[in-house]
Amino acid sequence: MTFETLRTRALAEWDALQKLDKPRILVGAATCGLASGAEQVIKTINEELAKNKIDAVVTRVGCIGLCYAEPIVDIIKPGQPRITYSKVTPEVAVKLIKDYLLAGNPHADLAMGTHGDQMVKDIPKFWDLPVLKSQIRIALRNCGNIDPEDINQYIANGGYTGIQRALKMTQAQVIDEMKKSGLKGRGGAGFSTGQKWDFCNKAPGNVKYLICNADEGDPGAFVNRSLLESDPHCVLEGMLIGAYAIGCNYGYIYCRAEYPLAIERLQNALDQMRKNNLLGNNIMDSGFNFDITIKEGAGAFVCGEETALMASIEGKRGMPRPRPPFPANSGLWGKPSNINNVETFANASIIFQKNADWFAGFGTESSKGTKGFSLSGKAVRTGLVEVPMGIPLGDIIYDIGGGIVKGKKFKGVLTGGPSGGCLPASKLDLPVDYEQLTKAGSIMGSGGMVVADEDTCIVDMARFFLTFTQDESCGKCVPCRVGTKQMLQILERITRGEGVPDDIRKLEKLAGTIKSTSLCALGQSAPNPVLTTLKYFREEYDEHINKKYCRAGVCTKLVKSPCQNACPAGIDIPRYIRLIGLGKYGEAVAVIREKVPFPATLGYVCVHFCEAKCRRGQLEQAIGIKELKRLAADRDTGIWKKNSKVAPTTGKKVAVIGSGPAGLTAAFYLTKKGHSVTVFESLPQSGGMMRVGIPRYRLPAEILDKEIKDITDTGVDIKLNSRVESTEDLFKQGFDSVFIATGAHKANAMGMEGENSTGIIDGVEFLRQISLGQKVNVGKNIMVVGGGNVAIDAARTALRLGSEKVTIVYRRTRAEMPASTEEIEAAVKEGIELELLTNPSKATAANGKLKVELIKMALGKVDQSGRPRPVLIKGSEHIIECDMLIKAIGQESDTPSGFGVTVARAGRIEANEDSLATSKTGVYAGGDVVSGPASVIEAIQDGRKAAIAIDKYLGNNGIIEEILAPQEATPKYVPPEIDRDEFRPELLEMAVGKRITCFAMAELGWADKDGVKETDRCLRCDLEAH
Amino acid sequence: MADLNLTIDGKQVTVKPGSTVLDACKQIGIYVPTLCFHPDLTPYGACRLCIVEIEKMRGLPTACSTPVTEGMVVKTDTDQIKNFRQGVLELILTEHPHPCLTCWRRERCGPYDICLRNVDVTMRCVLCPKNKICELQEVSDFIGIEQVEFPYVSKNIPIDHENTFFERDYNLCIKCGRCIRVCQEIRGAAAIAWTMRGSNALPGTAFDISLHDADCQYCGACVDACPTGALMERNRRWEGNIATNVLTTCPYCGVGCQLNLAVKDGKIVESVPSRENDVNRGQACVKGRFGIAEAVQSPERLKTPLIKRNGKFESATWEEAMNLVASKLVSYPKESTAVLSSAKTTNEDNFVAQKFTRVVLGHNNIDHCARLCHAPTVSGLAATFGSGAMTNSIREIGNAACVFAIGTNTSESHPVIALEIKKAVDRGGKLIVGNPRGIRLTTFSDVWLRHAPGTDVPLLLGMAKVIVDEGLEDKEFIASRCENFDDLLASLKNVKLDEVEKITGVPQETIKIAARMYATNKPATILYTMGITQHTSGTDNVMAIAYLAMLTGNLGKPSSGVNPLRGQNNVQGACDMGALPNVFPAYQSVSDANNRAKFEATWGTALSDKVGLTVTEMMDAAYQGKIKAMYIIGENPPISEPDANHAVAALRKLDFLVVQDIFMTETAREADVVFPATSFAEKDGTFTNTERRVQMVRKAIEAIGESKPDWLITSLLAQKMGARGFEYRNSSEIMTEINKLAPSYGGITHQRLDKGGLQWPCPNTDHPGTPILHVNTFTRGKGRFMPLSYKPPAEMPDAAYPLTLTTGRSLYQYHTGTMTRKVKGLNELLNENLLEINPVDAEKLHLVNGEMVKVSSRRGSIQAKTKITDVSPAGVVYMNFHFAESAANVLTNAAVDPVSKIPEFKVCAVKVEKIAS
Repeated sequence: MTFETLRTRALAEWDALQKLDKPRILVGAATCGLASGAEQVIKTINEELAKNKIDAVVTRVGCIGLCYAEPIVDIIKPGQPRITYSKVTPEVAVKLIKDYLLAGNPHADLAMGTHGDQMVKDIPKFWDLPVLKSQIRIALRNCGNIDPEDINQYIANGGYTGIQRALKMTQAQVIDEMKKSGLKGRGGAGFSTGQKWDFCNKAPGNVKYLICNADEGDPGAFVNRSLLESDPHCVLEGMLIGAYAIGCNYGYIYCRAEYPLAIERLQNALDQMRKNNLLGNNIMDSGFNFDITIKEGAGAFVCGEETALMASIEGKRGMPRPRPPFPANSGLWGKPSNINNVETFANASIIFQKNADWFAGFGTESSKGTKGFSLSGKAVRTGLVEVPMGIPLGDIIYDIGGGIVKGKKFKGVLTGGPSGGCLPASKLDLPVDYEQLTKAGSIMGSGGMVVADEDTCIVDMARFFLTFTQDESCGKCVPCRVGTKQMLQILERITRGEGVPDDIRKLEKLAGTIKSTSLCALGQSAPNPVLTTLKYFREEYDEHINKKYCRAGVCTKLVKSPCQNACPAGIDIPRYIRLIGLGKYGEAVAVIREKVPFPATLGYVCVHFCEAKCRRGQLEQAIGIKELKRLAADRDTGIWKKNSKVAPTTGKKVAVIGSGPAGLTAAFYLTKKGHSVTVFESLPQSGGMMRVGIPRYRLPAEILDKEIKDITDTGVDIKLNSRVESTEDLFKQGFDSVFIATGAHKANAMGMEGENSTGIIDGVEFLRQISLGQKVNVGKNIMVVGGGNVAIDAARTALRLGSEKVTIVYRRTRAEMPASTEEIEAAVKEGIELELLTNPSKATAANGKLKVELIKMALGKVDQSGRPRPVLIKGSEHIIECDMLIKAIGQESDTPSGFGVTVARAGRIEANEDSLATSKTGVYAGGDVVSGPASVIEAIQDGRKAAIAIDKYLGNNGIIEEILAPQEATPKYVPPEIDRDEFRPELLEMAVGKRITCFAMAELGWADKDGVKETDRCLRCDLEAH
Repeated sequence: MADLNLTIDGKQVTVKPGSTVLDACKQIGIYVPTLCFHPDLTPYGACRLCIVEIEKMRGLPTACSTPVTEGMVVKTDTDQIKNFRQGVLELILTEHPHPCLTCWRRERCGPYDICLRNVDVTMRCVLCPKNKICELQEVSDFIGIEQVEFPYVSKNIPIDHENTFFERDYNLCIKCGRCIRVCQEIRGAAAIAWTMRGSNALPGTAFDISLHDADCQYCGACVDACPTGALMERNRRWEGNIATNVLTTCPYCGVGCQLNLAVKDGKIVESVPSRENDVNRGQACVKGRFGIAEAVQSPERLKTPLIKRNGKFESATWEEAMNLVASKLVSYPKESTAVLSSAKTTNEDNFVAQKFTRVVLGHNNIDHCARLCHAPTVSGLAATFGSGAMTNSIREIGNAACVFAIGTNTSESHPVIALEIKKAVDRGGKLIVGNPRGIRLTTFSDVWLRHAPGTDVPLLLGMAKVIVDEGLEDKEFIASRCENFDDLLASLKNVKLDEVEKITGVPQETIKIAARMYATNKPATILYTMGITQHTSGTDNVMAIAYLAMLTGNLGKPSSGVNPLRGQNNVQGACDMGALPNVFPAYQSVSDANNRAKFEATWGTALSDKVGLTVTEMMDAAYQGKIKAMYIIGENPPISEPDANHAVAALRKLDFLVVQDIFMTETAREADVVFPATSFAEKDGTFTNTERRVQMVRKAIEAIGESKPDWLITSLLAQKMGARGFEYRNSSEIMTEINKLAPSYGGITHQRLDKGGLQWPCPNTDHPGTPILHVNTFTRGKGRFMPLSYKPPAEMPDAAYPLTLTTGRSLYQYHTGTMTRKVKGLNELLNENLLEINPVDAEKLHLVNGEMVKVSSRRGSIQAKTKITDVSPAGVVYMNFHFAESAANVLTNAAVDPVSKIPEFKVCAVKVEKIAS
């Protein structure tokens, strides 16, 4: 049978299949699908079809690449478009057959999208889904669309016309076409494929070999596997073309034995090729002979290196050898050999099915075409991705990958597998191609892309990948064998908290030696993860080494428990949770008091970094740590006072400017160390932002008063209404040291036309006036601009002051709002409207009303903050009237020049990160005035830091640690019950209708029994780790 | 290809094509540090110390692996290179104890000094056996390292004392892989390989089994290749750096390996193969590497002359013993005495022995054990080519496109030549093995012709027939260089392949494949040994082989030819020297009056024209009482003769027996007088190896006891008997006489040999020697074809004796074991005779592995342990002949080849019986 006959028949078959008068069901049955239960789904579908006597064709197709959505089932009902359904469990499958096939309900709720032009109501177009929109499928063109075990389906989709065309060309023409396409080797090194074929073609010798490298060994790489499982023929056709071009009659596919399905499908494909005169002697009657053998690799990563791979085929230990001689001249069995990656061959076949110019139309100037990536790690939508070269890195992670799971912060992305590099958020706009990745210190590799979020420790990640390369080093050359081992030992030391500053130099020295002197690419690239993380995440190394601190809470030797690790003040959370569980509230507060003087305040308003890291949160929901703290603080017995001591007086005097959480904390601890402390407060009441920033319905005044009283009771003197303009004056007054903690109370300007119009006020100013009991007239219709906590507080306050309509205008979406989730939820619950993706551009006041011009925004590319940058939509301007506009888009500090310290932008004082020392001797600064608007707990942390530094400055030891809670026996670890999902008990809260009328606490906290129940959910990570 | 020019560090260099950058550096004396590099091994590029900068090349290429290209510009000493070398060396030193390597005062530090750096004794170079001969030390000195920043990780691997010969201390291993590579690339043994990977990689055996189980052949190549103290010969472990090394020739087999004997305090400590020669090129086998010092210096060495009185040996003075022997030998009628010379002694010793026989005893009754090995080679090749020796050289085998190894278990009997076969196969050459037994060579052969013992002629004629039938013969060569082809052609008409299949048991298809392979892959070389010669059809077998070579024109060209591998170290020389009953030195017939005239003129006495007795004839004559007295030099007939009981009986019938040897052998025990001879290590002289290469034997240590060199003892005896012309002061004077009388040795003087061996013919001192024989013409003019026919072995299995016994040598013992069985380690490897028997036969006889059985032939019976293995085909059993206590030659048949008189050692009928418990 000639190929033309074969093709005609295949096309007819395919056509008939498309016009089939019975339903077709396609099930993704590549490894990822099977791993998610596709086999069970197919079984159910078949049973269900039989049961309902439906005549349908069930086809196993390959992988379309949406791993996160597996198992994927497509249903084509005659006359209906093909609909893709995701996460099809057997139950869902039953539902689809009954409701859709039998009853005609396409189940829009379960569908992902439709294919083709025909639409179904409420179902988007499949290829318009964000995950697919920016993808271009060239190598993966058939994956998920055809039956990988049926050669005719491949042929019907253009298959083997590429080799047909090539066979009509001369070898030189084929090579030229390849060069013209600009295809670079997809195995990682990115060498021109045409050039490579040319070298091998020109090498002298009668016997030559062609090898397909399918030894995809990187953790988190599966492009090749999916290709082989889903469309083996496109790779095999590429091999035929390559073999013809270089003049070789024998080929090998070196495939890892861990890919049994790929091998099975390849073997099946080879058999079909032989039957159809596409393999063996006289292929397509052209006189060209070529045969292929599959060689299974035993799973050594290094066998992906070409010389090691060839040694392995020869039956030797897979170890690389020096080049020259290059494989093109002396490769397998000493004969000229050409080796290309699976994806390269998959591209080669379509380049010849279409043409070089078509292919070169994709990608960038230097890197043509598309590249497949295996997106894995902390992205929302993991899977196989094929994008044109030059696409920004951020698009892959955010548009396609859907961002980071659980809305966490993006930290970095490791491209190119374990020997690639880790790129930070600042590289999210990097156009992805060979040159740019190399320039950034990483590599394309075989297309692995592992996303790391804030919970990933960068040092630990570098350690992990080095463990891999060290394990997989063949042990032949010294730098790779010994050097990576030494690097690994240093990294292990650092993650154990035993690092020393010189370790960084040693790592860099070793990395340099290994990179420059290793025998093969495995060694030469092994230091990449370390080098790139040292380059982009140096501060995390420094924290591990100098502060013995792992910010991600991963390095177990440094982390007692993730919650405590996340707490800026380092409160021993598991311990007090346990005490609360025992009903020992006083003891629990004492534990908290060992680190902070504001347990109750924090119980009401803390931003709880701890909960974000809670391991229970990885199961179903984090422990309600803040609420538990409030529970204990509300029931405090004051037992902590028993052990609280004040040292004998030192005679030293300290001035603290500002009575916010930073200032009072510093004052409290300095007083306890025996110094005489005076706090100068410019406002008539003490407490700083705790007093004037947080509305009373979140933090009742009596709670704050009580805690400030505990502080003044130790001897702290607070002078209200005392604004300080000069630190020098304080020194003249006899103070030995000064701590500036003046906060950030000045609202940022919006830069909007008409910003100063009547009726526009600052959010912080607004809240301050209310807190200080001043009367503020609000209108009925209020607009609040901003997305932070101040905006929410202002909005809710306005509501409580009688406004009828409160709208929050924010330029991004709710997901990007910096305010606490629960605050936003509460606001919405109370009837506050969110006007998202909107920004005011102009305001004019007239007749006591404000006319505000709003403009719609769209989310643009993700910027270096890891958030998408809002972009104006031109022409979307519209005008809205309101009575008052509260702007709450952030604050700055107002630092008098008389302080005599170096001030950075927005009035922020520059202070040493650890000691908080300013440019002026004896003067320290902390809290918002240094960091910009932050949280109470961070301010407390600064207060502690300042107390330590000032105490030392005054000649003391700087030790402020104290033991307040009674000693207890080391508790026994009892494994918690985690068999089923358990959520937090419901919080008692005031009815919405009632609470918006007053400033009483909206949330009433937990009852005792609920609190105790909540403590049972704690996993006791502190005991587990040690 | 033209020579290549390059610049290294600003200096111009011109090198041969194929040179590496490292070669080029060496050529102009630029030192580039290396550790994993070894000149005999393919470049490995693992230690990374030889990195250099090369213009227009990416990265830092390794000098050892980078081929020179025209116009290359190389820099070896830039700051970058120096830095990285230091960095890499630092890493190497984290795997090797190194305090001394980085210590500035180590030059002043002695082994037992207190270490100022408080370093453990076990980590100190001064106590390492490789101190001052360690390559890591040399490299560290060059690169210069003051401090290693990274911790040394003690591996705490127990030192491996498993084998007697060498120790393995992998705590000192730097993982250069040289041991593994030499074992795999050169030796083909692959007993050791890399285990584990990454930083855990270490040389070792598969699954950590013992070296012995991993099929280690204890050649010691790994020890010689090791750059550090990780692999050390046990005996020299504490001897330090030995200054005296005496280059000499190995006394074991016919390969003639060049060895350096390391001598300290008058003792041989170790023998290390020499690299600078064309014979063994750095390789040896277990016997040469580890079996010399202990054997030569065995306490059992004979130290004084002995005279047997009342059945007991008593020490005697040389004077007494000489007087007794002289008086006895003159007392017998002429021709009732006989001399056995030795294939183990030097050319000079043999020359004197034959001269003694011909001049002093006045007859030609001299022979030696060549009769028992390659007599058919001499007769067969003399008839076809005109001379019977290897036509080509050892070093050519590795370049052959086809090797046909028939009747040779090369890897056991000529281990170093087997390496050349492996090399040929590695380079893409074909290997055809003809052997009834599954030997090591068959594991990597392309075709294995497993023919029945004694069916070589039909097999070879079958191949010849295929070649002729398919027109694969070299017609031009046959026409111009050969004669009588038509006779052969006619006789081949009678050869029927189906009959051949029936006789040999080899499928005709296989014969065809082999024939085509041999005829079409040129050059092709044929190697054979005793499997061909030790038959009653031995001469025919040899001629059939010669025909194959002539048919295909595989003669007179490099890497081709007919190559009988000689067994004993100097069996070639003993023949060359005329220790044969029919010829004077250099194969000059005693029957030829001109020859006699020449020798009579030089020796000043009349010489007998009557061909003397061969060794088998001597034994018969002695048994019959026709020979009354014998003078046996370094031979051991009770073990080596077929039908050994008969040989012992014959010796016992002698009236007087003088034995000259280094040990109290089974023969010496029967003697009346024993002369203690020196071993090869205590005298100067020459051996001629299998490829006709005459090489020096040099005195390394003083004579043990009162022993004297063989030539001196024989000369003194001659003088005592009143002869003249035996006043040699040294062996060199004997060689001068050989130069004069043996034309093919005309130009081979000790002086020339000091610079390296020479292959005869070498007629004058300007002649470079002859690596390849028959280049333009055969010695006899034209190569001669004569029709042959199949004659079955003399004794075929029958109902009473249903099994065929064939015999051979083991790698671990040598011949009658006189030397090797003095070596503890060799005895540990093999110290008893095993009867190899096929499982099918074993089952029939209800035998289990390791069971003691009785093996009997019509001539006697012995006991041996069974080794059930399919190495032996069904119906064939196999034994070694080294062991006196279970001497296989008690069983063998003394029937001889009518032409060459060789006995049929390789085939006899036996039965195996259980021993009643």
